[in-house]
Amino acid sequence: MDPLLLARLQFATTTSIHFLFVVVTLGLVTLLVALQTAGFITGKPVYERLTRFWGQLYVINYVLGIATGIVMEFQFGLNWSGLSRYVGNVFGAPLAIETLVAFFLESTFLGMWIFGWHRLRRGVHLALLWGVALTAYASAFWIMVANAWLQHPVGYEVRDGVAHLTDFSALLTNPTLTFAFGHVVSASLVTGGMLMAAVSAWHLIRRTPDFALFRKSLRLGLLTFAVAVVFLIGFGFAQFGPVGELQPTKFGGGADRDALVAEWTARFGPGDYTPPTLSNVGLGFMILIGMALFFGILVVPLLWRDWIIRLQFPLWLILLAVPLPFVAVILGWIAREVGRQPWVAYGLLPTGQAVSPVGPGLMLTSLIGFTLLLGTLAVTNWVLLARHAARGAHDPALGRPPAPDTDTRPHPVFA
Amino acid sequence: MELAWYALLGLFFATYLVLGGYDYGVGLLLARGGTLAARRAALTAVGPFFLGNEVWLVAAVGILFGAFPTLEGELLSGLYPAVLGALAGVVLVTAGVQLRSRPRAGSARAGWDRVIIAGSVLAALGWGAVLGGLLQGVPLTADGHVAGVGHLFTPFVAAVALATLALVAVQGATFLTLRLPAADTPSVARLARRLVPAALAAVAAATLLGLLSDRVRAAVARPLVAVLLLSALVAALLVARTALGRGRAGVAFTATSAALALPVALIGAALWPRVLVSTVDPAASLTVADAAASGPTLSLLGWLALPLVPALLGFQAMCWWVFRGRTDGRAPVYW
Repeated sequence: MDPLLLARLQFATTTSIHFLFVVVTLGLVTLLVALQTAGFITGKPVYERLTRFWGQLYVINYVLGIATGIVMEFQFGLNWSGLSRYVGNVFGAPLAIETLVAFFLESTFLGMWIFGWHRLRRGVHLALLWGVALTAYASAFWIMVANAWLQHPVGYEVRDGVAHLTDFSALLTNPTLTFAFGHVVSASLVTGGMLMAAVSAWHLIRRTPDFALFRKSLRLGLLTFAVAVVFLIGFGFAQFGPVGELQPTKFGGGADRDALVAEWTARFGPGDYTPPTLSNVGLGFMILIGMALFFGILVVPLLWRDWIIRLQFPLWLILLAVPLPFVAVILGWIAREVGRQPWVAYGLLPTGQAVSPVGPGLMLTSLIGFTLLLGTLAVTNWVLLARHAARGAHDPALGRPPAPDTDTRPHPVFA
Repeated sequence: MELAWYALLGLFFATYLVLGGYDYGVGLLLARGGTLAARRAALTAVGPFFLGNEVWLVAAVGILFGAFPTLEGELLSGLYPAVLGALAGVVLVTAGVQLRSRPRAGSARAGWDRVIIAGSVLAALGWGAVLGGLLQGVPLTADGHVAGVGHLFTPFVAAVALATLALVAVQGATFLTLRLPAADTPSVARLARRLVPAALAAVAAATLLGLLSDRVRAAVARPLVAVLLLSALVAALLVARTALGRGRAGVAFTATSAALALPVALIGAALWPRVLVSTVDPAASLTVADAAASGPTLSLLGWLALPLVPALLGFQAMCWWVFRGRTDGRAPVYW
């Protein structure tokens, strides 16, 4: 088998799984900050219970975000050593910054937040969650800086076949960055809001206890969703202009594309410089889903006098719509990434040149092994998430008050 | 400039081995069996530090990519099987520790504990193999690529991997003597003391095989430094054994931590100024300066790291300070 195809398949699989978890992470952490801050200001116990319940789901979801993220980071070196060899001077910088500025602190803060309940002062504990959220956004930003550079390389010059950094600020003002970052953040808030509304809807349909609590999170989730979906669609369509101009091959025909393909043929030799149709099919379906989600706004007026809960069927709609944002983010990612093929850095480094000179057997082992491993962990994680969501906010393990100080051992009744 | 970044890379990776080392060591020791409560107590001892430990690995690879891109590509793809094993181990431990207590059933938790044990073994062996592979050199050809992965399968690499596993086990047991409630420490301290001779034997075996290997002898440019650091490692282990016998858990933990960090310093110093030694063509060896990113990238990252690294250390220190001391009945339990 072709090592290039195997390496691409592995990157696609790992990144897709990673993306499904990080959109939830980014969306939920924002809502958690709102909940814990509200609890800190008002002192109402309902907010602490909400923070513990949603925090528990957030923390379970976070596990797979890290696991897949680590595999992705190593994959650059394992399978794509050409990427670091030819463009590492430029592309490596935002990734290094992401690990140091963002992820390092995000995880350190989160560890303290999980174990800091009832141990740290409430203000410090809240500040830690703010730290987790801000570094999560910083993380998304720097990853998008790196990704935007692959979409449209800027701020570099090529000497002896290797790209060198000349202007870092160009990376930050990359026209393929701003709207895409806004789009990804909105998508996270849509997904997080939708998830929160749907889990609450399930409890309200089942008439589990805690009506007031889930009514509150239904409203918060739905309103976040409704605001974010407008931005989501706005940032989405706003990208057509700059992307169409900078990547004429992405959305199909036109004189620009033919001119660019002719130029590439002259510089890099003849080849197929059009992306697979998969990318535009993905784009079409994503827009359809985006429009469907947009009509979800119509449910918002029903929040008035709790008509949404009394009528029941809007709750079912929300519940059934949960898979939509997840499908849409994968399709959107396919449109962006498959749409830049056959380039790993658009117009600069062909994907085939970036792949490591590793034997197909080893590459296949890695692909199968990690796909099975991460796939199994992802499914297990979703099962655990669903069970914890269904269990309700009665007594999540996260933030459980310590037992009275009678025994010197941590007691199994904590289970 | 390259030297400073090289030192920072070493610092981050060595810190990862020290901190991740006790994660995996505690993971390994779950294999002793014991009651569910005892296993959970061990994980609670790691508790608040767990998430802050593996970030050192992620940051080390971030520095590797940002400051030494050429090395990143060749190192990871050249030692593919070792990195693959370590990575699988890291993923298993990450998921296992964080998810084990989410199901309520004891049987499910026991299953997750086996995942943690397997992951810890893989991670320790994998990182050991990476260290061994670096020290014996790789078949780096003139075109700058490492040819094949068969070069990794030597007795020396196996011995270094096993020695790392033994060091990690010692580190885990010593960490538990430092963190578990005082009543539970004598038994883990005895275990740690018993593990030290095993670690010494493994280090001796690795040293012997290294001396017998042409590749290692050729790769080590500074034998004196290597011998010196190796003696320091042995001394650290002996200090740890004595300290464990006298109930000085803090001293013992400092010594075992030094024993895990020293191999990184040893490799960095023994190979200097090269970082990836070629076994087929001495001229093709990759030096630290060759491997480093170009000037503008390094100075950009340098300006960023200058205020940032103290902040990172500060927040980590905050975590260690807040959760210092032994665990007790009031310690937050989550893993």
